[in-house]
Amino acid sequence: MGKIVAIHSYKGGTGKTLLSINLATLYANRGKGVVLLDLDFRAPSLQAILKVQNSEYWINDYLNGVCDIKKALIDLSETHAKRGRLLVGLANPSTEAIREMTAKDRKWEMKALGRLLSLKTSLLSEMNLDYIIFDTSPGLQYSSINAIVSADIVLVVSGTDISDIKGTQRMIDELYELFEKKTGLIMNKVLFDVLESKTQRADLAKKLLNNNNLPMIEMIPCFCDILRTGGVSVFVNENPEHPFVKTLDRMATTIENL
Amino acid sequence: MSLPRKVDPISTTLLQKIKESLDQLNQKLEVMIEIQKHGQHPTQNGIPDVLDVMTLLSLPDHLRKTAVTLCKLDHATADEVADQTKRARAVESGYLNQLVLMGYVKKERRGRKAYFYVERDENQNEMKEPWEK
Repeated sequence: MGKIVAIHSYKGGTGKTLLSINLATLYANRGKGVVLLDLDFRAPSLQAILKVQNSEYWINDYLNGVCDIKKALIDLSETHAKRGRLLVGLANPSTEAIREMTAKDRKWEMKALGRLLSLKTSLLSEMNLDYIIFDTSPGLQYSSINAIVSADIVLVVSGTDISDIKGTQRMIDELYELFEKKTGLIMNKVLFDVLESKTQRADLAKKLLNNNNLPMIEMIPCFCDILRTGGVSVFVNENPEHPFVKTLDRMATTIENL
Repeated sequence: MSLPRKVDPISTTLLQKIKESLDQLNQKLEVMIEIQKHGQHPTQNGIPDVLDVMTLLSLPDHLRKTAVTLCKLDHATADEVADQTKRARAVESGYLNQLVLMGYVKKERRGRKAYFYVERDENQNEMKEPWEK
């Protein structure tokens, strides 16, 4: 049986979407069957980055009980993956849809949780896929907690900012541990000089871990090359030899063995 | 040498019934304790009995584990939940019944088996999704 991986963070702008898209593509390039789902209903972004046409059905429709999950998926295997399968489910980026999703009640959120949980059967088991990657909303809100509860593995991305580190620690203690989730930490946009110094690197990791016994999966440097691309392409496909892709490749292997 | 005492079958049945009643009483007491800990019963507050993630977060650890497992299984017996949580069937049965009494979980009997489920839709037809009907 495949795995559901939720990529989450306390604050926005930590690089969740960049990591989600590139990790999903990397797994597909390794020959795996991958589904990438945009669960950030407040700020949908996969459609713009992957440059796909408006889909007939969105993930919003699946969660609203309008359609089967398979109808809400777009197959990008031919255009975006070298091998394997890459399917994406997009969140509707229209203002009306965003407004509608933010006004859902508790009963709807409970049904949404049931539908996310059933993806394990409908996608991983029946479609024989290897990974479902959830690109979640930041912070503690219904859609992100639903994603966390449904996932097998949660990857928490934090920046080096103290407010981000403290918020991430709270989420570890008050959210992931309560749901007994397999959790891995990723520190993103770390300055090169910090990474080059063994002591500074260890201090930064210690600051985030705060005596928690969780694996620090990767400390990713802040790459200006990524910022320069402006998010117009899938980085792993355009720059396969870039150090970021090597880091991501190592990260993908670690997650496989979690 | 003393011979083993023969137990009267009527006494055995009676003892069994007393044990079951005590178990039920115990479960009810645990629910009352939980409700006291977490304020009023949800329905008394006008808040619907919804087992959403925020409710899951507010449950004590032992009940949360059972509730999350049931959410994953959708519709399950105490045995099936116990298989997943690696706890004893009797323990899970107790926790599931506590969740039923708290109003978060529904219970139905099919033959000799008791099935527990989270009611997600009042008009839900055999747990089918709208597009399957």
